[in-house]
Amino acid sequence: MGKHVIGAVAEFPAGTRRTMVVEGRPIGVFNVNNTYYALKNSCPHQGAPLCVGTVTGMTLPSRPGEYVYGREGEILICPWHGWEFDITNGKSIFDPHKCLVKTYDVTVEAEEAGETGELETYPVTVESGKIVVHM
Amino acid sequence: MEQQTDTKVEQKTIRTGLIDCDVHPYPRSTEEIRSYMKKPWRDRYNGGGRGFFGNPVQGDRVDARPPQGGSSGSDPDFLRKQLIDEYGHAYAILMPRAFCNLHPDPDFGTAIAAAYNDWLADTWLSKYNHDGVFKGSITVNTQDPLAAAREIERWAGHPHFVQVMTDSGARSPFGQREYYPIYEACEKFGLPFAIHPGTDGMGINTQPSPGYPTHYIEWHTCLSLGFQSHLVSFMTEGVFERFPGFKIVLVEGGVSWLAPLMWRLDAEYKALRSEVPWLKRRPTEYLRDHVRITSQPLERPDKDDHLLQIFDMMDAEHLLMFSSDYPHWDFDSPTRAFPKLPEALRRRIFFENALEFYKL
Repeated sequence: MGKHVIGAVAEFPAGTRRTMVVEGRPIGVFNVNNTYYALKNSCPHQGAPLCVGTVTGMTLPSRPGEYVYGREGEILICPWHGWEFDITNGKSIFDPHKCLVKTYDVTVEAEEAGETGELETYPVTVESGKIVVHM
Repeated sequence: MEQQTDTKVEQKTIRTGLIDCDVHPYPRSTEEIRSYMKKPWRDRYNGGGRGFFGNPVQGDRVDARPPQGGSSGSDPDFLRKQLIDEYGHAYAILMPRAFCNLHPDPDFGTAIAAAYNDWLADTWLSKYNHDGVFKGSITVNTQDPLAAAREIERWAGHPHFVQVMTDSGARSPFGQREYYPIYEACEKFGLPFAIHPGTDGMGINTQPSPGYPTHYIEWHTCLSLGFQSHLVSFMTEGVFERFPGFKIVLVEGGVSWLAPLMWRLDAEYKALRSEVPWLKRRPTEYLRDHVRITSQPLERPDKDDHLLQIFDMMDAEHLLMFSSDYPHWDFDSPTRAFPKLPEALRRRIFFENALEFYKL
């Protein structure tokens, strides 16, 4: 268990993702509309590197013959077999209760004044924060 | 007992590991295949695929695209790294995707098959094959069986071609007599005949379902239908009586249907034997001598025990051979696709069955 700074907000814009190894565990961190999410980089099906898959949207549940596309940028497609996962909670689309990938909390923390050597404090903007993954 | 006194007897290297019976190598470009064609075919060939029913999500493993560029399966070094070295393959049976049997012009189809064979022999079976891990398939165009037989003869005796292959798409079931020149050649040269999904319902080939399904998910699920029709046809037409040394391998056509289908055929045989008097045994009894089936995409019922029961019912110990289908989207991982198996059975499926079948 630990906190790991994995980068600065300014360098991790919306719609991007990174894969990395933290505490020996492969993970993927995603910025979805300026909220950060971390998933284990291993598909529960056959162990594929899930987090290198395509980030996209999905056809939402609909009536037969009807197509409703949505959730653009929130869905991760496994690079091997194409299983869809919800980046925001790690749950698969086809069986969210039984098929899911482990998630980790991600927070954005302000740069501390001491770290930047400034004496006065200012309101912290998101851009100046650092991204922390909690294992 | 005869004493072995000749110390110079060649020792055959026995490899261990696993044998993967369905791996797809791709040319680096269409131009590479075209360079093996004579005119006029060289000018007419533009690659082409199989046409309809592409996977709407992704056709290949996304992570199989070579970092140096090119399509999945086109870089031998990357394929070795991601598949051969990763899982400890002793052999990979290569199955190129020429899609040659859907063309209305049989000569064009034959030219495509020949070009793929020349390409495979030059590259994956020689330049890229310093250790002999790659074994190849002779692509034939089934719409011109006499030309196909000549193509088989052209490659017979090659050290690394171990079988003949075609797509499952066809105009008539494979047991019928027009195909016999192919089987005669296979038998003569000791090469099994492999059937791999593709071109069903495309070009000149019929679709083995009532009409065309709407979706890829239907088409892909029902690929088994064509395989079942071909197998029943091989059995009832007496192909295995006519060509006693002829063997087939059903690649990527599904696994779990085999036993129930054969039970059904055996039952029919009891009542309808008079229609097929050339059969000397119950259909099921031909399987071990003439038929193998590859594993991917392996069906996984909710309970592993059910799959193990199916393996028992279908004689997987002797008939089933592991395949991964690398680099396609429905790749089966050698370490994750199967439930835990008894060690002896695992060894049969992952190694020994293919070792014996291909005489490796």
